[in-house]
Amino acid sequence: MTPLHCPFCGPRELREFVFHKTLPAPTNANEFDRTYLRVADPQSSIEHWQHAAGCRAWLRVQRNPSTGEVLAVQMLDGAER
Amino acid sequence: MNVLPASARHYSAWSLLRARFAGPGYWRPLWSGRTLQPAYDVVIVGAGGHGLATAYHLARDHGVRRIAILEKRLVGYGNVGRNTTIVRSNYLLPENHYFYEDSLRRWETLSRDLNYNVMYSPRGVVDLALTDDSMPALARRGNAMRLAGIDAELLDLPALERFAPELEARRKRRFPIVGALLQRRGGTVRHDAVAWGYARAASALGVDIIEDCEVTGVDATGNTATGVETTRGRVKTDRIVFATAGHTGTIGTMLGVPLPIETHLLQAMVSEPIKPLLNSVFVYVSPGHGETYICQSDRGGLVMGGHLDGFPSYTREGVWHRLEDVVQGAIEMFPRIGGVKLLRQWAGTNDMTMDGSPIMDKLRYDNVFVNAGWCYGGFKAIPASGAAFAKFVASGTAPDLIRAFRLSRFATGHMLDEPGQGPFPVRL
Amino acid sequence: MSARALRQGTRVEPERLSFYFDGLRYDAQVGDTAAAALLANGVRLMGRSVKYRRARGLLGAGAEEPNALFNVGEQPRLIPNVQATQLVLRDGMRLASQNRWPSLRWDVASLLRAGGGLFSAGFYYKTFIWPSWRSYESIIRRLAGLGAAPQDCALPPVALEYVGCDVLVAGAGPAGLAAACAAARAGARVVVCESEPLCGGELEFECGRIDGAPAATWLATTLAELRALGARILTSTTVITDNGGEYIAHAEPGGVPGHNTVYRIRPRTMVLAAGALEQPIVFCNNDRPGVMLLGAAERYFARYGTQVGRELVLFANHDRVYASAQRLAAGGMSVCAIIDTREAAEIAVDGTVRALRESLIASGVQCLAEHAVIDADGGHAVRAAHIAPLRGGATSRRIRCDAILTSGGWSGALQTGFHGGAAVRGAGALRAGSASGSLELGAALADGHAAGARAARDAGASGTAGVPPQGVGDTAPRVRAFARSPAPRSGEKRQFIDLQNDVTAADLRIALEEGFIDIEHVKRYTTLGIGTEQGRSSAAVGAAVLAEFKGEVRSNVNASRSRPPYQPVTLRSIAGFHVGEAVMVSRRTALHDWHASHGGVLEPMGLWMRPRYYRANGANPFDASIAEARQVRSIGGIADGSTLGKLEIAGPDAAALLDSLYLSKASVIRVGRSKYMINLREDGMVLDDGLVLRLADDRFLATTGSGHGTHMLSHFEHYRALSGRGRRVTVTDMTEAWSVIVVAGPQSRPRLARVLGTSWQAALGKLAHMDFADGTYADQPFRVLRASFSGELAFELHCRPSIAVPLWEALVAAGLAPYGLEAIDILRVEKGYLVGSELNGQTTPFDLGMSALVKQNNTCVGSALLDRPAFHEATRPRLVGLRACDGRSQFLGGAQLTGADAPNYPCGYVTSSVFSPTLGQWLGLALLARNQPEGAELTARDPLRGGNTPVRVVSPVHFDPCSERMKG
Repeated sequence: MTPLHCPFCGPRELREFVFHKTLPAPTNANEFDRTYLRVADPQSSIEHWQHAAGCRAWLRVQRNPSTGEVLAVQMLDGAER
Repeated sequence: MNVLPASARHYSAWSLLRARFAGPGYWRPLWSGRTLQPAYDVVIVGAGGHGLATAYHLARDHGVRRIAILEKRLVGYGNVGRNTTIVRSNYLLPENHYFYEDSLRRWETLSRDLNYNVMYSPRGVVDLALTDDSMPALARRGNAMRLAGIDAELLDLPALERFAPELEARRKRRFPIVGALLQRRGGTVRHDAVAWGYARAASALGVDIIEDCEVTGVDATGNTATGVETTRGRVKTDRIVFATAGHTGTIGTMLGVPLPIETHLLQAMVSEPIKPLLNSVFVYVSPGHGETYICQSDRGGLVMGGHLDGFPSYTREGVWHRLEDVVQGAIEMFPRIGGVKLLRQWAGTNDMTMDGSPIMDKLRYDNVFVNAGWCYGGFKAIPASGAAFAKFVASGTAPDLIRAFRLSRFATGHMLDEPGQGPFPVRL
Repeated sequence: MSARALRQGTRVEPERLSFYFDGLRYDAQVGDTAAAALLANGVRLMGRSVKYRRARGLLGAGAEEPNALFNVGEQPRLIPNVQATQLVLRDGMRLASQNRWPSLRWDVASLLRAGGGLFSAGFYYKTFIWPSWRSYESIIRRLAGLGAAPQDCALPPVALEYVGCDVLVAGAGPAGLAAACAAARAGARVVVCESEPLCGGELEFECGRIDGAPAATWLATTLAELRALGARILTSTTVITDNGGEYIAHAEPGGVPGHNTVYRIRPRTMVLAAGALEQPIVFCNNDRPGVMLLGAAERYFARYGTQVGRELVLFANHDRVYASAQRLAAGGMSVCAIIDTREAAEIAVDGTVRALRESLIASGVQCLAEHAVIDADGGHAVRAAHIAPLRGGATSRRIRCDAILTSGGWSGALQTGFHGGAAVRGAGALRAGSASGSLELGAALADGHAAGARAARDAGASGTAGVPPQGVGDTAPRVRAFARSPAPRSGEKRQFIDLQNDVTAADLRIALEEGFIDIEHVKRYTTLGIGTEQGRSSAAVGAAVLAEFKGEVRSNVNASRSRPPYQPVTLRSIAGFHVGEAVMVSRRTALHDWHASHGGVLEPMGLWMRPRYYRANGANPFDASIAEARQVRSIGGIADGSTLGKLEIAGPDAAALLDSLYLSKASVIRVGRSKYMINLREDGMVLDDGLVLRLADDRFLATTGSGHGTHMLSHFEHYRALSGRGRRVTVTDMTEAWSVIVVAGPQSRPRLARVLGTSWQAALGKLAHMDFADGTYADQPFRVLRASFSGELAFELHCRPSIAVPLWEALVAAGLAPYGLEAIDILRVEKGYLVGSELNGQTTPFDLGMSALVKQNNTCVGSALLDRPAFHEATRPRLVGLRACDGRSQFLGGAQLTGADAPNYPCGYVTSSVFSPTLGQWLGLALLARNQPEGAELTARDPLRGGNTPVRVVSPVHFDPCSERMKG
């Protein structure tokens, strides 16, 4: 996997980050879907990660799970940094 | 390559001797050489352990005649050849331990059943306890096993020292070992042999194993699937089985059914060969560190694995820091192996379900069956999975042994959450 | 032997040393590898193969060596499988050959060779089925394996270094150095990793000229220039894998584990110039000691002045062999014959080579075109080569020799580039030199220079790379693919392709015959290319022979996919400094040292260390914990509760965030009050429990289970981020900011009042159950919370860690004795309070008797999924208490509960059990199917520990059901 760039701390070692879950399709997901169902798109996965051994920011990460490329990283709470 | 394989040679020491004097041309292909037919009774997608075993049992036990296994790449190229070869049935939940015990009993006789030596080695699986308060949890599991007629022993420190002197159980450690749960009938099986043995047996029963043939879609009328689209053209079929470990989520996407599955990498690794050192399979779970399991292959390599790399991936490239974790755990168990060298690292692609137990059910169509979500348990499940799933596919009704593995269990709340980890393959 | 003349070479010094091999003492020179020294001492036989136990000698001179693996040192601290070609000798070193018994010369197991034809590829899949594999396994395991299993290990710590740079160059041969130089001149920060202890690669023996001067001069000036430009050159360091754009390199100076270093290098761009691997040519008995790679022979002579033989037969499929022959002859070795597989016309194409060949013929060397070595005589060493023409069918002839040097072309060392899926991402490294097929010095230099300039530019360096070096060396070899000499079918059993695993051409035939057609299948079936040299000497030639058998034309062969690490790495290097006590951090409370020095038996609990009991109170945990629990119930005691997780939630939205995270509302808590609350996981299972204190309108302190602190912090932070309340609420981990001392027992209030002094007297008297008061103690912030986990009147003291010890000591002086985890467990089981045994991630709030909380209808994480039908079935568990029917017998946590109607189907299990000193009997908590009523008689089944105890279902609150002691 290519390095993750924390929007707050910059590129950091992968070990510092903890993956939590992938997100279901956004369309009318109910609580059950959100809890249990996952989108399996080999080209794009939208995920929640935490920079647990760093600034502890929660991140929304878009990756290509077939190549390991990180496509986008945003703060999960919508902060701009 | 339109050669029909002659009926397979029976294997024995005698056959080796015959081959020695017969010279070249004695042996026959195990499975190759079939061509894809336009229609089948059952099409199985995926020539891994589960797909091959299902085909074998459909042909052997249920008299299904026209069976094809369509494989994107090669027979046994997926997880069946990428695991750490451990077989065991030391599960807590009845739904799991009865199933895996069925599998373990089949492992015991599989070499004879297939006439192929899969090298079942009941060397014992040792789950180490690192604190006194983890002993009741191990006892809970072991007692549940014993009441189900499965072998299990709780070893205190002296008993553990006797059983596995190589562990130096009393040695000073950051997390001292206090005891263990032992399943003596647990052990290892030569992984590639399982794929090849089933492929050979299925092929001898007339199953068409077609490699290099990717399934790209399902043809259907209403609630009934009528065939599959493949890179080698359309194939008609009465029933479809998906046994595509690691890629079941994308099968769900293909059928328009999101599944409670994430795809994760699981690393494994082996050291260079050394003379016998470890005589059992050792499992060690330490706080903050996660799991490490280690055993020694018959070739002499120390085979090690741990938990997931920790994020969805189809790349089969393990991350270095997880390898560090596993090796640290291995050295913590066996400090003496520090000077032994790591030879190879690889990874499998695992379907991780949201309760850690498998899914064996129909999917979307009345005649489409999915055998998936094996998490860490896919390899050891193969014989039971093949037999039970064949029964399911042949009859249309899931046999008792696998009924609990239905997909609807998440909606009804009947999850089979062995470790109590909830709907997350990776612990936060 | 000491009379032997001193050898001269680029790597040996004149100083002598001695070492032992299989117990015999040999002389060597400083700088010698074990391989070079043994060769110089005339030792040819250095190992035995695994399967057939055939005699083996050296094949190569470096990391490609499959045969000469030694045990280094002596038990208990022995290092197995060290390549003799990499091992730099130190005085007195002890080496031993492997895989032989009783001795290397006379090995009993080599008798197995008699059954050679039986042990073909995959033979073990076809036999050993009856009676069971297990009955053969122990013998087979002992025959297999390579080096000895170490009995201990005492390697020094491994250094770990993170290196950032612009351009990483793997390989310091001519191409790599040209690349490094170009990049450094352009202004890039350059790091070079070279596997060998010296830079230069082939320049070490190839007599080329660069920029008009001898290559050695260019090498020296280039290295000096690189250093002056600030480039870092790491020798004896191999790039072993690509970890997603980060390269892991491993340094093992001396070729034996010792003071190793792991580098984690993050370049912007990478140039792969790791050279090429010379491939052997396969013929019958090509595994005899004395059959070596041609390049290895050149290296032994150039580096160590060691002659690999006196009478050589060279066997190759390219032009380079003639230049090599000339150099070897100049080194005093007699070249008897050069066997070239190519046609005479093809050899004659290049004028330089033609002239060279003619002069060799003139000096008496037999040069044969379109011939091949088809067999080798000899047992423990080669005695002769059999030569036959490739066309025309004339009979073979025999040439006496003591070494056959083969060279079948080169395969680029690209494996590192394939690791880590870099190729998939399209971010693969630039390749240069022989790694990319430029086998001629001038081309390699030009190639390297261009790659270095490009890499620097891609990395953002703006300077100019200067002029590329001009080199003239051996002419391009013009390789004509030839992997295997012809042999009768019976001879293929002795054509060795993978020497370490004894894979022969016949084995590949069998694999094909059995339908293993793809190289990946063949590798798995025959074990081709999975040796400790990572297939360097076997994978490419194996793929070529396989292609030949399949009738495919392949000039450039596709080997099976290689796996990291590129070079085997000791486990100790990978573990880094996380071994022994340092394997995982230890969390210690402020009172840790006090516990340790006062008989506290500390035990890990998660990463924390906590006292289980105090030795002063009893000789074993059972007696001590009973005494401690009795003391708490009769007078009072103190316990270290600092490991409790403590999260402070502050800000205008604090109450709203907590309402969304707990099953009941936090917003209704009054300031100065606390409340017992539980969290649910997303699927409705109970995640954790704890007290929530309202410190102010906009400020709460939430306590979590000891093992759960980090997890709960992440959980809180996750929902904080998700809620979009990020700017209006903060979550702060205060776990280590507050030490917690629990004071419990009927005498706790007066004795605590005595310790805290007059200022706290009134507050202590006023505090109702679940009230707390903030203030100061010893001029530090201080909090007293009246809450109880023991059922006694109890107070939690929250203080700064700096005053925890004096406060604790004052409490001890006031007659409050410390109690440990075991006593805590007794007290809480007596009261039916929950810990991780019950909050195991498999229980709902209904299971744990918290239905009333659910009825409050607070919407929180996990509440939406609580109405799933399975959660309300009669077979779901509920928390109950258990007592032995006879009031005496013991039953233990982990016992399964069965009823008389279904003796083998558990209806529940014992989560915890303790001996209660207060009630004088064993008590338990259990999770039991709801359809088993209170009063039911069941059996606690514990076959593992040999007990079946009849038990009765009772209330989980065994003691003081109305909590009068706690609330009174």
